[in-house]
Amino acid sequence: MAAPLELYCWRGDWGLPSIDTECLTVLAYSKFAGAPLKIHKITNPWKSPTGTLPALKTREEGSISKPSNIIIHLRKQKYNADYDLSAKEGADTLAFVSLLEEKLLPALIYTQWVDSKNYVDVTRSWYAENISFPLNFFLPNRMQNQQLEKLRLVRGDPMLEPGEQLEKELYRDALECMTLLSQRLGSHKFFFGDFPSSLDAYVFGHLAPLLKIKLPNGKLQQHLNSLDNLRNFCSNILLLYFPSTGQDNSSHKTPTHADGSDFDSEPHLRRNQILSALFAFGAMLGYAILTGIVSIERVQPQRALQARKRADDEEAD
Amino acid sequence: MSLAAEAFVSQMAAAEPWPENATLYQPLKEDQILLSDCASSLAVQTYLRMCGLPVQVACRANAEYMSPSGKVPFVHVGNQVVSELGPIVQFTKAKGHSLSDGLDDVQRAEMKAYMELVNNMLLTAELYIQWCDDATASEISRPRYSSPYSWPLNHILAYQKQWEVRRKMNAIGWGGKTLEQVCRIRSAFATSSAQFFFQPTELDALVFGHLFTILTTRLTSTELAERIKSYSNLLSFCRRIEQSYFEDKILSVSLSLFIPSLIPSL
Repeated sequence: MAAPLELYCWRGDWGLPSIDTECLTVLAYSKFAGAPLKIHKITNPWKSPTGTLPALKTREEGSISKPSNIIIHLRKQKYNADYDLSAKEGADTLAFVSLLEEKLLPALIYTQWVDSKNYVDVTRSWYAENISFPLNFFLPNRMQNQQLEKLRLVRGDPMLEPGEQLEKELYRDALECMTLLSQRLGSHKFFFGDFPSSLDAYVFGHLAPLLKIKLPNGKLQQHLNSLDNLRNFCSNILLLYFPSTGQDNSSHKTPTHADGSDFDSEPHLRRNQILSALFAFGAMLGYAILTGIVSIERVQPQRALQARKRADDEEAD
Repeated sequence: MSLAAEAFVSQMAAAEPWPENATLYQPLKEDQILLSDCASSLAVQTYLRMCGLPVQVACRANAEYMSPSGKVPFVHVGNQVVSELGPIVQFTKAKGHSLSDGLDDVQRAEMKAYMELVNNMLLTAELYIQWCDDATASEISRPRYSSPYSWPLNHILAYQKQWEVRRKMNAIGWGGKTLEQVCRIRSAFATSSAQFFFQPTELDALVFGHLFTILTTRLTSTELAERIKSYSNLLSFCRRIEQSYFEDKILSVSLSLFIPSLIPSL
């Protein structure tokens, strides 16, 4: 292969290489397998060759968007992170990926896209800030509808309405799933010994956003924080395989706030603001005096006095 | 149901012993039931037999609409109704009958994961074959599914169901798959599933339910059954469970009718 494959995925934030679960899974797998990809981190899904993210541009098969298909394609290119696994471990991988998709993913979608406080405060505001101008008005809402649709299909209930009952069921499943994962991981570094495999990529993709994105309703996050080995597992992968984003995070925190407005880059911002306010006030005052709005108030009583005096004088005359 | 109410129900469940007149409801066995429902129903029956809990099987044409979650089968125990294998396992556990107590944490985690795998792959593959393979859908699934209803309701309900399943398949990316590919997935599963089974657990019940049904059901294409038949360990597993839990010939068919080659090997 002459040129490296190109991978399109969502931009990262909060110390994550990407904020999207599927993108994270693919990124982690490509790092584990050592695949030399040219990675485009973008914030406009319409720029990706398939219209969704993540997307891998290949020469033979066109563009692929589903994470499992991307992983299969990378495997065909001899970038295989599961080479050393036994048949039993391969089966375990399939089984635990099913577990993640059935139990944890619905709760993940719920907590990010359906829970109204989390959606308005964090998810929508992040996408609205990062997606470019005309798209940012409708794309976040469209994405929410797609995610809700996905949730309905996974649960097999077309009439599904978000509510307390649903939330409780989803969270119960998800907490159980995290506990099971934690038990399976035990004190190992990765799920199958000392080297990461595709299962580690999937687990990382699902758990890292929960761990790093601070949500106002953080029930899942609290539970994850109480499972030390899973938390360490995620931060280890971040540290070992995505060192640049990890460092970015600490120095990134302050600039994210500063990025908000364009004026922030000027050093004498406060002074200029005060000066311009003073200038504006002075100009208004000058105008008021010139047109006589202010002066009349002051002069009137004297004139009235003079007028009365004159009238008195005339009476006296 | 609030948390308190749920705790109350599970306490009630624990207090009452398993009654003699527990009933399992499923669609009509001869005319109506489809592959996937039959498999789930058999899985629940196997599980209850493994626990040693008696249950009567009742066939109702409208079982799907009687079930609290819209899925068959469901059991009616005392004054409670529970549907699907997962909740039923929870329910019997609350009553003190459990098969997975002897497992350690890792094994239990793996068992849960494999159960999801079965639901995710076998069940989806069965649904796919029933509703997305055009020959099977028009010759078997639609007529059987709609058999209790009169015109025009039979067409409406059957197409509604088919449309619903197809939409789900599209969403999970199975939409454009051909039968060939489904079979390949199935065989990947079979290789992987050759590895587990520690002791009789709910997982074994689930796997048995699905494999046995696939092996003994005649569809337009026998390719799936052929795939499974190429795994001798899965076959002998099914045979073993059939012999130990269904000796009284409650199953209308026997595995040996379908796989004559199996008998000498046992």
